[in-house]
Amino acid sequence: MNGTLPRLLAALTALVLLTACTTGAGGDAAPVQLRWYCCLGTGEQADQVKAQQAVVDEFNARHRDIKVKLDVVPYNSARDTLATQIASGKGPDIVGPVGVGGAAAFHGQWLDLGPFIKARGFDLRPYSEGAADLYRIGSVQEGLPFAIYPSTLYYKADLFEEAGLAEPPHKYGEKYRWPDGREAEWNYETLRELALRLTVDKNGKDATQQGFDAGNIVQYGFEPARDDLRYQGSAFGPASLDAGDGKTVKIPEPWADAWRFFYDGMWKDRFIMTGPVFETDRFNGDGAAFFSGHVAMSVNFLWSTYGVAGAGPDWDVAAMPSHDGRTTSPTSADTFRILAGSKHPDKAFEFLSHLVGPASNKLLEAYGAMPARTADQDAFFTKLAAQFTNTVDWQVAKDSVRFADTPHSEAHTPKYNQTLAVLGTYRSRWMTKGGLDMDAELTRLRAEIQKIWDR
Amino acid sequence: MTAVRMPRRVPMSRAARRETRHGFLFILPWIIGFIAFTALPMAATFVFTFLNISLAEAEPLRFVGLDNYRRLLGDDQAWAALGVTARFALMWLPVVVALPFLLALAVNSRGVRGGGLLRVLLFMPYVVPFVAGALIWQNMLAADGWINSALRLLGVAHPPSWLNDPAWVTPGLVLIGLWGLGAGLIVNLAGLRAIPAQLYDAALIDGAGWWRRLRHVTIPMMSPVLFYTIILAVVEVMQYFLVPLVLFDGNGDPGGATRFFNLYLYQTFFTFQEMSYGSTLAWLLFVITLAVTLLLFRLSRRWVHYTSER
Repeated sequence: MNGTLPRLLAALTALVLLTACTTGAGGDAAPVQLRWYCCLGTGEQADQVKAQQAVVDEFNARHRDIKVKLDVVPYNSARDTLATQIASGKGPDIVGPVGVGGAAAFHGQWLDLGPFIKARGFDLRPYSEGAADLYRIGSVQEGLPFAIYPSTLYYKADLFEEAGLAEPPHKYGEKYRWPDGREAEWNYETLRELALRLTVDKNGKDATQQGFDAGNIVQYGFEPARDDLRYQGSAFGPASLDAGDGKTVKIPEPWADAWRFFYDGMWKDRFIMTGPVFETDRFNGDGAAFFSGHVAMSVNFLWSTYGVAGAGPDWDVAAMPSHDGRTTSPTSADTFRILAGSKHPDKAFEFLSHLVGPASNKLLEAYGAMPARTADQDAFFTKLAAQFTNTVDWQVAKDSVRFADTPHSEAHTPKYNQTLAVLGTYRSRWMTKGGLDMDAELTRLRAEIQKIWDR
Repeated sequence: MTAVRMPRRVPMSRAARRETRHGFLFILPWIIGFIAFTALPMAATFVFTFLNISLAEAEPLRFVGLDNYRRLLGDDQAWAALGVTARFALMWLPVVVALPFLLALAVNSRGVRGGGLLRVLLFMPYVVPFVAGALIWQNMLAADGWINSALRLLGVAHPPSWLNDPAWVTPGLVLIGLWGLGAGLIVNLAGLRAIPAQLYDAALIDGAGWWRRLRHVTIPMMSPVLFYTIILAVVEVMQYFLVPLVLFDGNGDPGGATRFFNLYLYQTFFTFQEMSYGSTLAWLLFVITLAVTLLLFRLSRRWVHYTSER
């Protein structure tokens, strides 16, 4: 008995050590846990969540070394929740789909994918030219191309026909032909002239005619994307409020031109509706004036196809006009990103490659997004075309990707959210108050943002 | 040298001590709740005002002294937001104090028939959740809403753009606020009913007409109720937040005309994620509300009459 106890203890100790070693070995082989955080953009709808979960389940089934968990946070609280998680050191591994603006709100938090792309030999050739640039902030490649939404000029062909005007050009570089045979550069000045003729009052007079009643307009010539001043600016030319040193605010010349064009269009030339008119039942078609069917031309992202059927059966898309000889199609781009704080960046990149690779078609379909991979675009447009009775020249959208805005209009600036708030206030004031001195407004805007950046 | 005789402290009886203990026991849950959810967070936010806590920019936590207060002094947006709040207060306070009083007078007067029904009708909107009420008003005040349709019927060719014109949005918000006057009406009615009838009888015997009875009996007797209404209205105005948040997504549209101070404070905390500066704004709001309330209490000595006073 005396020798039994020590032997038993020794055996137990050996067993414990063996178990510990085995567990340790097993720990190395235990699957890495990754968390996919949604939804800073799209992704929260029930069918989208289902599609995302299916992608996760499929991936988990095929990868014994990685287990992904989908974390769905509704859009309205997603930004604040993510900020809190990151601040408390409990951030997820992968975030998305998220646009450039959503990502800019977390500037500096994203992993540079450049070294992983190089190490894994990730092939960027199948994507639209310039698509990868949409996700490059300075020297940091924050994302891989996934979904893109170029801007085009939506127009109502029937309104052009009614006015005896030729439709705007569909091919970039083509000129616009006036009824008298004159050819003009397809730029915003030509668009302005067209828009004046397509703005009609209740007596049928257009904005170029004597006796035009600006108080009773029934049809507007043009509608810019009024949600975001940066978008409006970028449609005239890609730029940034950052002078380049990360400290100094500059109002880029094309943006200033765009904002004057917008303001004068509303309050002087009257071919763009003011804020109060925009809110009326006649023109506010599900949040976008073009959808009302009473607007002849409108610049917007490809995603606005969701409600464009409201404009009637005679709409089509044309090339974006140029400004000062340069054409720009502000392009929205959604993708997935890896947080720099991820404990498993290598595995996260593996899952990311799966999302933008084999799983992309399933996800793009759920999100209703245009694939950045050129080979998948025809199938996407075939499906999209089936939703409409009219024939739409989708080639315009494909061609527009070449004119994406770089730097992106939503790219990071210092004090990002505060800057956005100031821009939002000015945008709202310009839409609701006539008689402003735009030069003074631009000076004030610059000074106000500069003051915020100086803090 | 005369010895000062201190009043003798009467020892509490056993029963009184027990009663005190029980009293404390009963209010203990509230005390715990107050300490945990009000006093401590308030103290914490005060400490935050001297730190650099921001979720937007990862910086090591450090003591910044009075930097946040200095920033506040130069923050045009904060003062503009305070201006928006003051502008609304100037329009709203007279309405929220006078209208329920006048309505209560009308409902309470003998000449009005169906007073009970009027009370119900006037109080009913107060029962509707405020967010739902705000959304209903959004439609009523829309460019093509009921109010503008009614104005057009009355011959106003271009009625105001209530919610999209910086000049009209404040009156629009005052109109929306009328929705919640029911509670004030009930309080005023209760006050009016509590005025002893003998006072009116005496005034009548003295030959006082309607106006003199109102001026010399009703208003002095109602002054504590009116004072209570003013205090609540001031606090409510300083905390005004929900309607602009619901109607304009908290953007301050149109043109910053609805960026109330409390909304700016919310933006600073949750959109700009600047916790320390947000705390500084919160303390400014607290100090202003406290100062205005104290001032009102001080002024109340001149015009508020309590029947229990000698």
